[in-house]
Amino acid sequence: MRDTMGIIIPVTEKIPPITDIRSIAALPIAGRYRIIDFVLSNMANAGIVNVGVATSSQYSSLMDHIKSGKPWDLDRKKQGLNILPPDLERTNGTIKGDIDLLNGIRNYISRSHQTYVIMSLGAGVYNMDFTKVMDAHRENQADITIVYKDMSGVEESELSRFMLIDVDGENRVTDIEVKPFYPKTANAGLGIFVMEKALLESIIDECSARGDHDFVKDAIAKKLGGMRIFGYKYDGYADIVDSMKAYYRNNMLFLEESMRKEIFNPKSPIYTKTKDQTPAKYGENAEVTNCFVSDGCVIEGKVENCILSRGVRIDKNAVVKNSIIMQGSVIEEGVELDHVVFDKEVHITKGRKLIGQECYPLAIAKGTII
Amino acid sequence: MISKDCVAMILAGGQGSRLGALTKNVAKPAVPFGGKYRIIDFPLSNCVHSGIDTVGVLTQYQPLELNTYIGNGTPWDLDRNNGGVYVLPPYQSANAGEWYKGTANAIYQNIGFLEGFSPENVLILSGDHIYKMHYGEMLDAHKKSDAAITIAVMPVPWEEASRFGIMNVNADGEIIEFEEKPKEPKSNLASMGIYIFKYEILKKYLNEDEHDPESSNDFGKNIIPKMLENGEKMMSYTFEGYWKDVGTVQSLWEANMDLIDTPPKFELYDKHWMIYSRNMALSPHYVGKGAKIIDSTVTEGCSISGTIEHSVIFSSVTVGEGSIVKDSVIFPDAVIGKNVKIEKAVIGQGAVIADGAEVGTVEVSDNKYASPMCTHGIVLIEGTAEVAAGETIPKGSMVEAKGK
Repeated sequence: MRDTMGIIIPVTEKIPPITDIRSIAALPIAGRYRIIDFVLSNMANAGIVNVGVATSSQYSSLMDHIKSGKPWDLDRKKQGLNILPPDLERTNGTIKGDIDLLNGIRNYISRSHQTYVIMSLGAGVYNMDFTKVMDAHRENQADITIVYKDMSGVEESELSRFMLIDVDGENRVTDIEVKPFYPKTANAGLGIFVMEKALLESIIDECSARGDHDFVKDAIAKKLGGMRIFGYKYDGYADIVDSMKAYYRNNMLFLEESMRKEIFNPKSPIYTKTKDQTPAKYGENAEVTNCFVSDGCVIEGKVENCILSRGVRIDKNAVVKNSIIMQGSVIEEGVELDHVVFDKEVHITKGRKLIGQECYPLAIAKGTII
Repeated sequence: MISKDCVAMILAGGQGSRLGALTKNVAKPAVPFGGKYRIIDFPLSNCVHSGIDTVGVLTQYQPLELNTYIGNGTPWDLDRNNGGVYVLPPYQSANAGEWYKGTANAIYQNIGFLEGFSPENVLILSGDHIYKMHYGEMLDAHKKSDAAITIAVMPVPWEEASRFGIMNVNADGEIIEFEEKPKEPKSNLASMGIYIFKYEILKKYLNEDEHDPESSNDFGKNIIPKMLENGEKMMSYTFEGYWKDVGTVQSLWEANMDLIDTPPKFELYDKHWMIYSRNMALSPHYVGKGAKIIDSTVTEGCSISGTIEHSVIFSSVTVGEGSIVKDSVIFPDAVIGKNVKIEKAVIGQGAVIADGAEVGTVEVSDNKYASPMCTHGIVLIEGTAEVAAGETIPKGSMVEAKGK
């Protein structure tokens, strides 16, 4: 896959308060990971040696996470991982869509010498073999390949979060609708596109010249007839995190064995920035069941159905259920929590009670002390 | 080349034969410890926290795993432009070439390496002790006293003093006598095997020692007594804190247990003195619906469905439903089936304990697995060994992997 470069682009959605200080790509997930780890690891595992991460705003958290790209073995002498802050010069000071972002990194794209581009949102949860997507793209002699998942059975309001595509018997895309209110199909695009680099360059130039901003709506949806656009049906688990509901669900799914087995497949590992933490420690009164626990946690209380990031402290007689607790949070004695999402370093003092609902988890911003 | 104030040399070549099957395929410093570490992580982390950025690791016995583990030293921040960590195996030269004959000879063979850094002082460490120590403070004391050598000592219980090399010191801390395992100790200050030498003096003694055919080329047996005899200024440096030689199955087991006592005898959770180790890309550990974990540490990658009491569980260990693991140390990748009982055992890397097996639960008189290495009823299961379903392994057993 040395002939393919990777581009990771941000999603524009916000999930307050946990995206107040970071992009969705940099959101902690499944305990010790960040959402971008999935796509980045998939690219690295596919043998891609040149990855550009386009950023729009609040990228310091993301930069701190990926730094030189070492965990993904992308700290190379040439190419490797490139974090690309937005170039407002080239886009007249505004970023209205992904075309503007891509235009901002146009120089990086043209400097890269790969033939193909695999472009993906930095918000996906999946462990996908990108080499198979590339193979299908070449086999179909496609101009553009869009990865999608058949989400039949998923409720309409959930489907409306996606770009939906219609395909014919040969998987050729016949219709595209972006986040329609009334979904006509259940084929949800996963924000992963493959094309030749030259095609992407011409799309960027053309759209910019016309004042268009949206890659899917302006460059693809309108040109379905003129290009060979194919779908690649993905059968594994995949979702895009773009709301609190999706964030909560995509964390809790890791309590299921099938999800852990698929996503944390030792043959295609998900890499992340490592930290020197001690193993998790359980006290004499700890009662922990159905939890995903990271290193550095110190648990004395009762914890059920939770995702705990590194270094979380839960004191004795505290009861924590159905919650996502990010790094370094402290839950003191006697505290009761149910359906909460704690950002990093939240501190709940003795005896407090916080209860959210499954459809509306109570989210607390980083560093809050209650 | 900028000359170095102090270069550390870690003696990591020993077999550690008293660890039995644990060191059949790896050198002692590479033996796992404390859930996610290996023994060598302790001296390496101590070095980097003490401001020593040039470290030679002298390997000899089964070096492959240790070499791979150390790599270019990144996990310990020892990948440096000038200095860093170097693995130093014995080598062949134009007219000689031989194995390391003893601790002193190992350093002697690497004088060339030391010359490259023209150090003022050389710190000699062993790769098989568990402790956190600021060598920088010892170095300061060494320089202040202008001693030829400073030896770290620690007070041990009087009744145990006869097991150690004992230093008798005067009121100023100057060493006046050294006794190896004295029957009637005059002091309870035990040598920790940590020496800081003035480099020029070290070189002189190593050269002389090498040409002494009577010598067994050992620091404790030859170099230290020789220096005393010659009236060199030799200072002690008293260390007070946790320190453990994990040279036997029992002491290794004990040192692991020391981490999970309440309060722990040895605390690894210390932001200012992190023990670094090579981190792997593993997911958090999963604790199942019927699981119970108390007084234990569990590392990433594990999947626990049974009961864990007072045990140290390394990474990627599986413990099935209905199983009970008590007072044990389970090395990485071990697979414990369902309804297994394990008590007071050290389970090697990747060992398999099949459904319904019992390990360390009973005592029998004619135990075919009995081993002199496994004292105090501790059971040792070698890495990749398999205990069959329903099999009972009595206390004090050592079970080796087949076909080795």
